[in-house]
Amino acid sequence: MSGSDSDDENVIRYGTPLEPYEEDELPTKRKFQEQADQFAVDANGRRRFHGAFTGGFSAGFGNTVGSMEGWTPSTFKSSRSEKAQVSNRRPEDFMDEEDRSEFGIAPRLLQTHNEFSGQKRPRQRTYYDGPIPGEPVLQQLVRAVHETAAVKMLRAMGWREGQGTGERLSKSQKKMAKKQHKVYGCYMPEELKQDRPESEEDSSSSSEYDFDTLFAPDDYEPYILNRKDDRFGLGYSALSRHSVLGNLTGEYGSEAGSSKSHLNMRDKGRKVSIRGQAFGVGAFEADDEDIYGTEDMSHYDFAIGGPSPVNEKKQNKDTSKNVLPGFVKAVKPVPSVPAHPPPALPRDYVPSAAGARRSRFEPTTHKERDQGLGRHELTAEARGTLLGETPIKPFPDPPMETQTPPQKEDLTKILCRNINFTTTAEKKELDFISIADTGKEVQKVFRPFAGNMEKQARYEKYLEDRGSTKEGDNSTDKLSQWERERELVEFEQAAKLYRPLSGIMGDRFTHASEPDDALNPLTAVAKSSSNHGLATKEQMDAAQRGVYGVMTRLQTEWRPESLVSKRFNLPQVGGVRLEQQKEDKPKVSYSIFSYLESSVHDKDSFAREQSKFSGSKSMSINTSKVDQTKTVDRNLNTENKTSDLNVDQSKRVDHTQTVAGFTKRMTVAEMFLKESEENKKQGVEVTETINKFDKMDLYKSIFLSDSEDEPLEAKQQTSDKTDFIDVPKNIERNNSPPRGIFANINFDELNSWKRKDDKPVTNPSNAIDIKKSETKDSSLEEEMYGPKIPENIKKRLLSEGSSSNVKESIEVGSSSSEDSWVDVNELKSKKTKKKKSKKHKSKHKKKSKSKKKDR
Amino acid sequence: MTELETLATIKCKQQVVRAVRFNVDGVYCLTCGADKKINLWNPNRQILLKTYGGHANEVLDAAGSCDSSHIISGSADKSVILWDVTTGQPIRRYRGHASSVTCIKFNEESSMAVSGSIDNTVAFWDVISRRQEPVQVLKDAKDTITSIQVTDHEVLTTSVDCHVRLYDIRMGKMVSDYIGHIVTFGSLTRDGQCYILSCADSTIKLFDKDSGEILNTFVGHESKDYLLENAVNATDSHIVSGSATGEIFYYDLISSICVKKYLHSKNRPVVSITHHPTDNSFISACEDEIKLWGIKEMEE
Repeated sequence: MSGSDSDDENVIRYGTPLEPYEEDELPTKRKFQEQADQFAVDANGRRRFHGAFTGGFSAGFGNTVGSMEGWTPSTFKSSRSEKAQVSNRRPEDFMDEEDRSEFGIAPRLLQTHNEFSGQKRPRQRTYYDGPIPGEPVLQQLVRAVHETAAVKMLRAMGWREGQGTGERLSKSQKKMAKKQHKVYGCYMPEELKQDRPESEEDSSSSSEYDFDTLFAPDDYEPYILNRKDDRFGLGYSALSRHSVLGNLTGEYGSEAGSSKSHLNMRDKGRKVSIRGQAFGVGAFEADDEDIYGTEDMSHYDFAIGGPSPVNEKKQNKDTSKNVLPGFVKAVKPVPSVPAHPPPALPRDYVPSAAGARRSRFEPTTHKERDQGLGRHELTAEARGTLLGETPIKPFPDPPMETQTPPQKEDLTKILCRNINFTTTAEKKELDFISIADTGKEVQKVFRPFAGNMEKQARYEKYLEDRGSTKEGDNSTDKLSQWERERELVEFEQAAKLYRPLSGIMGDRFTHASEPDDALNPLTAVAKSSSNHGLATKEQMDAAQRGVYGVMTRLQTEWRPESLVSKRFNLPQVGGVRLEQQKEDKPKVSYSIFSYLESSVHDKDSFAREQSKFSGSKSMSINTSKVDQTKTVDRNLNTENKTSDLNVDQSKRVDHTQTVAGFTKRMTVAEMFLKESEENKKQGVEVTETINKFDKMDLYKSIFLSDSEDEPLEAKQQTSDKTDFIDVPKNIERNNSPPRGIFANINFDELNSWKRKDDKPVTNPSNAIDIKKSETKDSSLEEEMYGPKIPENIKKRLLSEGSSSNVKESIEVGSSSSEDSWVDVNELKSKKTKKKKSKKHKSKHKKKSKSKKKDR
Repeated sequence: MTELETLATIKCKQQVVRAVRFNVDGVYCLTCGADKKINLWNPNRQILLKTYGGHANEVLDAAGSCDSSHIISGSADKSVILWDVTTGQPIRRYRGHASSVTCIKFNEESSMAVSGSIDNTVAFWDVISRRQEPVQVLKDAKDTITSIQVTDHEVLTTSVDCHVRLYDIRMGKMVSDYIGHIVTFGSLTRDGQCYILSCADSTIKLFDKDSGEILNTFVGHESKDYLLENAVNATDSHIVSGSATGEIFYYDLISSICVKKYLHSKNRPVVSITHHPTDNSFISACEDEIKLWGIKEMEE
């Protein structure tokens, strides 16, 4: 270690030493660290290239425009204080610095202005339509002479045309220069030059002027361009044996003859070799070995010393035989100039002198060319035949039944490929889908099985008697059972899918009564004549007669918000109760169920009920309930007025229903409507005051939905029990409410009946009664949730089974308990009815029943 | 009655003046233009004091606050803007309405603005707090609210659904009167006992507020399809109404006789009218022009 200093002085170190290990330390496993990616950077050290998939070059990245991320779109900002500046965006604003540099996409160079470039092209002139057609003669004669500024300057400096520029030279110097002159292209061979007789002239003249005369240098010999005889791009020479780097790979020496590079030449010991690179190899690669060079045998086809000069001379002599002195006979024949035929003139082109047409209003001799090259002259059939289509038979107006089956098949196939919706027969029938009607119209509007007429017919049939129980048409008999079932499923699906808006959704929409001119606000709108159901007929009458006052006035409760009262400096109406009311208010939920239920428990139906009970206890209930049912209460007054109108409406609905009959399957909404209808009728009958109408029932009638009838029923059952308390009962009997299939059987009633008879149940009719009541129950149950029972069956059930049963039960009822008897029929008919009807007196029941029979 | 003359004619250059309103003391007036701007004028000296721009559509109504420090305006852009008079900047912008705001008023203390809209609602805006939602929305009307009047404890709204609704905040009651015709404008007499309704059947009807009975009908002017406004003079003796014919009708309130007709400009509808709160003068607006009518002072 002592000699380390001296070692340092003597030893030359290369590279960086490894870090010495500590004794105890384990060599840490270092990650292999990749050499940092090499990036081509521009002058500012920013990355120049990006992957092709990220935009190539510098597009959008690391550029100078805007922010670090590149160009950012500017936002339009204009405020009252700072108005937006009108900004003229130039393309340069979106470009990088590099783009504007020499190699960028938009290089900025100092260029001679067009005016001074001397490369002015004669502008395309438009000639006036004067009396003499064509270019004005005067203009042809007089032409502005244009000289570039440089020429002018050169002239001023003593330059003459045909001379070269530069310092003046003496004769000998000029000669020298001529000799050393680089010549591109065709070059006069040395031998010929020597042969030229003018050489003496030169020498003689030189003696004359040699001393003091200076000559202008020779003009620059223009580069003679070769004729382009290939089809490559301009300036491009196709891949040849010569490599891209310009040299032959196997180039040998610097012998003049051996070099095969076409741009290599030798001139008096001075080698002129034009060589270079075509495309760059890469940003990083230096001049590399010629990787694109190809080995070729020709590269090895040489002899040291080049071709023999004797041969050459011979050749020259041979060729110069019958050739003018100074010329060489061409070795290669002159390539023939490809002849391009002039473009074919249009068919009906009439040559005319330019500007021959004096005015545009002059009638033209040639008629206008038809647009589509005569295609439009053809009819659709003609085109079809040209295209080899089989002509489609025109649709006859009579329905398709007249056609023969195979044709029908064809037609329907064509139809269902294109338009499924309407066939020609129904075209004029409907231009919209009627909302109100359901099932029946479906078949007319849509034919999902148009491809198969029989099937379509079956489908229509299916739609017609959907709901009705009968099955097995004659047409379906042809099919097997399995097929039929399968088809039925299919039909069901189709009917479900291709149904117009109906039922629940249907009544939410209506046809526009006025044309929808939303785009044109200036169209006159008809004055609103409808009163939006606000004014009743009486009100309108009164207003018409000018009797304003009590009739037209309507007072309702209105509760201003506390803040409103506060801001108006007024005491708050209702005080603290308002807050409570606010909390009680149920949150509005837009669910389909609320909509469905609303048809049953909607405001006006409730209002109607309410009006029927008015004057009795219900009023007092009302006042006490005001807090909870405020919203309903508020509506009540207004709805009372409109109720008459509603009744009319609903009657109409009822009427249409009966007309339609029960063959049609009813939608849910219709069912509810009907139900509420019946409710109302029931309500009409109930005119007397009801003592047992307690608060709870009112509450329930408002707030409980139909689906919650199970507990109600149970409750009813128990209440029934209490009503039957005077009737002797089997104490050992299970007191729990009956479940399952016994749920709807009133055992108490049965028992009481049994006891009255004092006989065991041997009477078959009784058993039947029970059975019937059961079946009826189930059928009614079905009415709620399943398909509608056909009218005739329902009637039969009513007349045969239940009526006799009911009669008996009524008798029993009158004997056992007078005022609080629950009719079996009532109990089973409708749930909402139950709530009220159980308090009804028997005579009302009779009334209602008779009415039912009337229906 | 004394003859009124045209004291001033101002070309507002606002395309069409939708509404002209006196401020609380009648020194200044506001014109709401179809050019989306509100102009503040001194009509007596015919000076344009300030222009309030910021609405995105026609301004349909405006009102000045009781201390003349704020302006509230409703526009066809569905917004209500509270303006600062001196700076001309919008202080608050309320966007609660679903459609054009047709009419707007401050309450007596200018602590609350009440606006009516084509969306059939009347909204109460608290201009004191920063609350952006309406304090209360009245949805009783079934058609466009055409006008609003606010007293110390009542809000009178007229609607295209042929009803007039009087909301009594003190009593917590709403009285709606069926009129049978579209009510284009409603105003209350200065004593607050009657309301004067301009109806679309070319009449003005005077109703008793308490009973809802009709007291008088004023016929003579022509309403056509215009939402004509009316005004009652400072002493409750006369009613002023515009007309589609370009005239201004001056009716006697009691006898319902047309006392005087003033021609603003022939055959151009005079829609908006505002009466001076104390003096015997009013301003009528006809298209681009407003005219101040009053008694010429003797000095001049």
